Parts: sequence; structure tokens; C-alpha cells
Amino acid sequence: MTCGLTRRQFAAGLSATAAATAAPPAFAQAAPRIVVVGGGFGGATAARFAKQLMPRADVTLVERSLPYMACPFSNLVIAGLRDIGAQAFRLERIQARGVRLVADTARDIDPARRTVSLAGGGELSYDRLILSPGIDLRWGALEGYEAGAETAMPHAWKAGEQTRRLRRQLEDMEDGGLVVMSAPAAPYRCPPGPYERASLIAHYLRTQKPRSKLILLDAKNEFSKMALFQAAWAEHYPDHLEWRAARDDGRVSRVDPGSMKLETDFESFSADVANIIPPQKAAAIAGRAGVADATGWCPVDATRFESTLQPNIHVIGDAAIAAPMPKSAFSANLQGKLCAMQVVRLLSGLEAEATALANTCYSYVTPQGAVSIADVYRNDGGTFESVEGAGGVSPVEAPGDVRRAEAREAEAWFAAITTEAFG
Amino acid sequence: MTLKGALAAMTGLALAACAGEAGKAREPATLAAGTGEAARLAAACSGCHAGPGAEIASLEGRSAGDIRAMLGAYKSERGGTTVMHRLSRGYTDTEIEAISTYLATQAEGG
Ligand SMILES: Cc1cc2nc3c(=O)[nH]c(=O)nc-3n(C[C@H](O)[C@H](O)[C@H](O)COP(=O)(O)OP(=O)(O)OC[C@H]3O[C@@H](n4cnc5c(N)ncnc54)[C@H](O)[C@@H]3O)c2cc1C
Repeated sequence: MTCGLTRRQFAAGLSATAAATAAPPAFAQAAPRIVVVGGGFGGATAARFAKQLMPRADVTLVERSLPYMACPFSNLVIAGLRDIGAQAFRLERIQARGVRLVADTARDIDPARRTVSLAGGGELSYDRLILSPGIDLRWGALEGYEAGAETAMPHAWKAGEQTRRLRRQLEDMEDGGLVVMSAPAAPYRCPPGPYERASLIAHYLRTQKPRSKLILLDAKNEFSKMALFQAAWAEHYPDHLEWRAARDDGRVSRVDPGSMKLETDFESFSADVANIIPPQKAAAIAGRAGVADATGWCPVDATRFESTLQPNIHVIGDAAIAAPMPKSAFSANLQGKLCAMQVVRLLSGLEAEATALANTCYSYVTPQGAVSIADVYRNDGGTFESVEGAGGVSPVEAPGDVRRAEAREAEAWFAAITTEAFG
Repeated sequence: MTLKGALAAMTGLALAACAGEAGKAREPATLAAGTGEAARLAAACSGCHAGPGAEIASLEGRSAGDIRAMLGAYKSERGGTTVMHRLSRGYTDTEIEAISTYLATQAEGG
């Protein structure tokens, strides 16, 4: 075994497998086995709550990349306003709560045998599997943006090395340089994320490299919190940020990392720094499990979070089709809690039951100012629906203290959600 | 009750509750209660309110009446600018009651 899986963890995994083949999965006798793949906002939360709600269950969390690097607030890192160390979360506290942590890659899933095989060897058996593997990038979906292109043109849409790379490129750029961003069509991880990033990069340019400029090329004509972002851009970055809608030839059709060129239908841009946020899909393991459909994302029963394609496999977070819930850390965390509840109910012979759900996402428009979107949803009848009359965005006309208050709330939100998910 | 009034009442009560309840250990909830309607509705709250409670109020030590008054004030106040104004409008009064009672039980000595 590799990747830090201890001998004891490995032995425990094997004996779980042995028990599975010896006895039928009758949850009345044996400890129910819950396996969670992905230790991010969705998976870490689900594992913690499953164990808390059902202490006798055998809960295993599989994560390939430790420490976990959180994406929320990574746009502040890119703008030089936050240390990347503040994005790193270890999962040891979850282990202390009785969840078995397996530091390995889930390589394959056999829904018929109900097993997860690990890249380092060995196999985990489950009665219920929860997948929260996040996203993969669709390499090649944007012409020229193949695997390897992220060295010259970082996406920084998974936090860590890519975040640092984009930050370094901005730092190394001469004053007077051109930064070009490309935003994808929906659905993708964090709908307002590209616009928060553009705001904070524009702040960096205005204050540190004032002769430089950012052009944000978009495959869409509309985006999350659009009026709020546009008002902030007009107020703070009139000379440093230009947004180009799809209808104004904003959709990037081809990139060339070698020459640092981005092409739209009619124009070509030579970038000094290029940030490509490419089209995305559920992470590869969802495809291996047979829970992703032709869209690349995973259809689920909204009440149970159970795949509509494979029984006993639940999918939460960015990988799941949960629209109108956005692909956000808030959504993944809440779905993690609710999915854990439904899974332990099902394992105890109780029915899954519907509820109301919510989402709140803050976005920084300046280092001290943020705007928000909030919504309430219901998941009865197997689908997610927005509740009429609830939700919405921050007021567009608002004194500065409203923006400042939301920036302080954003910080408190990050502290709260990461404490709940990881510690 | 106005929002300001509710806030003031909650702050006072939180202080009182902190003194009395701090040492008490909480019995683990049964699985059915821990996954019941109130628990499911309240699951959304801890995404923001699990922290120490400076910019976002902590829910620890709050009474059900206080939480209900607070949510009711958010729900009815027009022109409010916070996310709580927008969120509370998505819940029925019965649900707000259930959430308030659940959170108050959770906070007891928790
Ligand atoms: C720039 C940016 C800013 C953002 N800002 C916000 C914000 O302010 N608020 C907000 O709510 N959301 C924000 N988000 C969105 C948020 O990061 C995601 O929605 C959230 O991380 C989704 O959680 P998840 O559990 O679905 O996936 P992830 O958090 O990505 O976790 C998935 C985990 O699964 C692991 N994994 C995948 N496959 C395997 C495998 N086969 N074996 C083992 N492990 C595996 C991965 O290593 C990863 O750690 C932002 C995103 C970006 C990119």
C-alpha cells in the first residue's frame, strides 16, 4: 500500500471485505458499511455526520490528495490578499471522530458487488456508497486546451499548485501587461467564481500594475449576481476590467498555449497572463461507477441523493445534478449532512424524507466588500425546486457598509463551514 | 418584536445561558430524532452558524422563543439587506417553529 495508508487501516479494510463475502449485507446483524469517496466539502461532511448519527456504522473516507485544498477564498490568494496556507485542511480531526481515513485513490467501483477498489491495492465493501468527488476538466472541449495547457494557461479551478501558478504569473507580469480570462457556459463549479476572480485581479492591477488591464471573455450573456458585479466594476475598475458577453464575440473558440493566444470568432488576443476556466464534468470516478449520464454529470433522486442510474450509490456536491442548487461549497456541505441523514435512515429501515434546503454564496468585489446570493429549495417529489418568494441577491443600491458587512460575514462563513466540514 | 429588539434579547439571554448551561453534557440524540424533520430543516443553519459567532451570530444557548422571534423578524422586515432576510422568507411559520425548537435543544449545554 502507498500514500500513507497504514498497515492497520489496510488490514481493517481487508477484514471488512472478508466479512462482506462471508455474510449477506443484513444490516441488522453486522455493522453497516458506509464508504465515502472524496474528502472535500461534501464528502468530509457526509462522513463526519454519518458516523455521528450512527456510531455503530463502519464509516470509511477515501481521499487521494492531502491536505485538502479549499477553493473558496482562493481568489484572494490569486490577488495576493491571502496566504495559500489558509486554504489547506488536514482530515485528522475526522479520524479522531471515528471515521476511517484511507489516503488513496478510488480507482474503480463495482456497483453489482458493491466494492470500491483502491489504486494502492485492496478493496472496500459498502452497503451504501457516497460519492463527492468534485469535478474534472473536460480537456480538449475548448480547442487547444488539452492536458498540459494549464502550465502556460492555468485554470486554477482546483486549488493548490494551480492557484500558486496563476498568482506567480500575475506577480511576474510587467506593468502594462494584458490579462485575459475565459469563463465557460453553465453548468460549472461556482457560478459567480469567475467574476469574483476578475474583480480581485482587477483590484491587484489597479493598485499594483495600473497600466495593465484584464479582459474577461465569456461564453454567456448573463451570469450570477451580474448587476452587482457590473455596478462594482463600474465604480472600482472602470479602466482595468472589461467584460465581453458571448453576444459581443466574447466566447473563446480556440486557445494556443504556445503563443499565448486566445481566439473568439472574429478576434485574437495576445495575453501576458491567461486564465482559462474550461468546461467541466463530474470527476472520473463517477463515470467508472456508472452514475454519470451523457451530460457528464450525475442525475440523482433529490430526496435520497441516490443515483437514478445505480442503486446504493449516492452522489452529492459538484458532481451531482442538483440545479437550481448551484455547485458551491455551501451546497456540497448541506447535501453532505442531508445525504448522511438519508443514508443512515435507509440503513435503519426508515424511509428517506423530503426537506427544505438552502444556499448562500458570498463573492468579494473588492478586498473589503462582498455581495451575496441566497436561495431556498425543496426536494420533495425527487427533484429540486426553488421556493417562490424567497432568496435573491444583495441590494444593488446599497451604502458601502452593507458591502463591508457582507465581506465580514463571508470570512465568518468560511471559518464556520471549514470547521464543520474538516474539524 | 423588531430585529434590533430581538437581537438585544438574544444577546442578554446568551450571556445568561452561558453561565448556567456550560458544563452539562448532552445525551446523544436518537437516530430518528437526529434525522427527523426539524434536524433536516436546521441542517442548513450550521453551514454559517457553526463558528465562534462574531460577525455571524452563534446559536449556542439561545432559547426557542428567541430564535423564533429573530427569524420572524427577518421574515417580516421589508427592505432588509442580509442573507437571513432572503432565506427566512423560504420557510413556513410551522417550519420556523420546528427549527427554533430544534436549535434550542441542540444548544442546551452543547
Ligand atoms: C475559485 C473558486 C472559488 C469558490 N468560491 C466559493 C465560495 O465562495 N463559496 C462556495 O460555497 N463555493 C465556492 N466554490 C465552489 C466549491 O469549491 C465547490 O463547490 C466545492 O468544493 C464542492 O465540493 P465537493 O465535495 O463536491 O468537491 P471537492 O471539494 O472538489 O472535493 C472532491 C474531493 O474528491 C477527491 N477525489 C476525487 N476523485 C477521487 C478518487 N477517485 N479517489 C479519491 N479521492 C478523489 C478530490 O481529491 C477532492 O479532494 C469556489 C470554487 C472555485 C474554483
